Amino acid sequence: MNGSAPSAQARQVVRAAAQWLALMESGCANERDRAQLQSWRDSHSSHEQAWQKAQLLRQRFAELPSALAMASLDRPQTSRRTVLKRAVGAVALVPAAWLISQQLPLDVWSADLRTVTGESKKVQLADGSSLQLNTASAVDIDLKNRRLKLVEGEIALNVPGTSPLTILTRFGQVVVGQSEECVRQGLAGYKVSVLKGTVQLQPLRGPVFSLRGGQQVSLQAAGTGAVEPFDVLAPGWRDGVLMAQNQPLGDFLRELSTYRPGVLRWEPELESLRITGSFRLEDTDRILALLAASLPLEVHSRTRYWVTLVARKNNV
Amino acid sequence: MSDVATPPEQTFHDLYRDHRGWLEGWLRRRMSNGSDAADLSQDTFVRLLASSQRIADLQEPRAYLATVGKRLLTNFYKRRSLEQAYLSALALLPEDCVPSPEQRWMLLETLQALDELLDGLARPVRRAFLWSQLEGLGYQEIAERLQVSERTIKRYMAQAYEHCLLVEL
Repeated sequence: MNGSAPSAQARQVVRAAAQWLALMESGCANERDRAQLQSWRDSHSSHEQAWQKAQLLRQRFAELPSALAMASLDRPQTSRRTVLKRAVGAVALVPAAWLISQQLPLDVWSADLRTVTGESKKVQLADGSSLQLNTASAVDIDLKNRRLKLVEGEIALNVPGTSPLTILTRFGQVVVGQSEECVRQGLAGYKVSVLKGTVQLQPLRGPVFSLRGGQQVSLQAAGTGAVEPFDVLAPGWRDGVLMAQNQPLGDFLRELSTYRPGVLRWEPELESLRITGSFRLEDTDRILALLAASLPLEVHSRTRYWVTLVARKNNV
Repeated sequence: MSDVATPPEQTFHDLYRDHRGWLEGWLRRRMSNGSDAADLSQDTFVRLLASSQRIADLQEPRAYLATVGKRLLTNFYKRRSLEQAYLSALALLPEDCVPSPEQRWMLLETLQALDELLDGLARPVRRAFLWSQLEGLGYQEIAERLQVSERTIKRYMAQAYEHCLLVEL
């Protein structure tokens, strides 16, 4: 990259070396081609030099970790504006961020708490328990009767004391002592996951039973489902992180969309791609950009609230 | 050079004194971060000092500085977007595959050098080259991915090699 332009002769040699390389790599070279290449290299020291340089070039690429290098060097083209926006994103995009209102002391005995989509709230209850609300969640607190009612969404609860609290759901109640757990309301029913300690499930239908740390179970109108090992990645939301371990992209996106206001759609062919990683929920636009950088897909956004993911066409 | 009255160092000094503030302001209006603008303005003068441009011959020093500054700005954004893509890809790696901080930095330096090397190649040529070099794909496979003929891929590859080797001449 020095100032003076290469001579026409030097250019000619480089072009020849490049064409030889392309031919050799094509897999179409025959014995005669190889012999001709050898005599080209032997015929002048500048030829051999160019050939060696080309080999060094190939080596530089060959030594790179391919996935990282591919994602970086074949990144989608970004406009200066986008780069700028991302550079200052952490500051400028606060309205869309995952806002964890840290440990607001809540000295009242009863309150109705609510979060909007993309928001999280963490409160310290008067009895020392900590309660965190996930995105688009609502809970009614009645400490006098030591009851919490999960109205919508998901809560995480950490009860340090021995005095039990009861979480009310439409299909039964969960009595928790000194423990840590998440209760999530989905379309089909609830999912109760215990991180630490033991909780007691009292379904409207079916027998009462205990759930230990490391276990989870679904709670539906018909009763409880089978006890499953608890998904250790699931409560990442409490720290503002969405985690995936070789997860089908469809499942990941369904989860992600609960944190984004507006519509997030994707082509069915993307459903079965696999994804692994930890993603900061504070900027879901950025998560989508990350997906586009690492998976064969593109983000088409009409507005921030109307986003479609499509499979990347090869001839872009 | 013998007919220049003042020695070039002196002229450079004048130029720096008279226009540095202006250039920094010019860059600052185009960038989000003031210290980046200050760095780039410094780089612009360094480029000028290292170039063969005779400072005494500059008719419109600000126009010249703006031209150099614009080029550095473009490079800056390219580096920044590469860095973002790189960090994003790092974040997706399973924890036990993440390179050490030192390796991460060295790798970024290497990628930036290669990114500059590939700069100017048409998108499909660049992709074909990367697929071949990084993923070891054969021409036939690349042709299928790009939906062009194998002959075109061979041409792309020769073009990419020629481009890289010329830059390095």
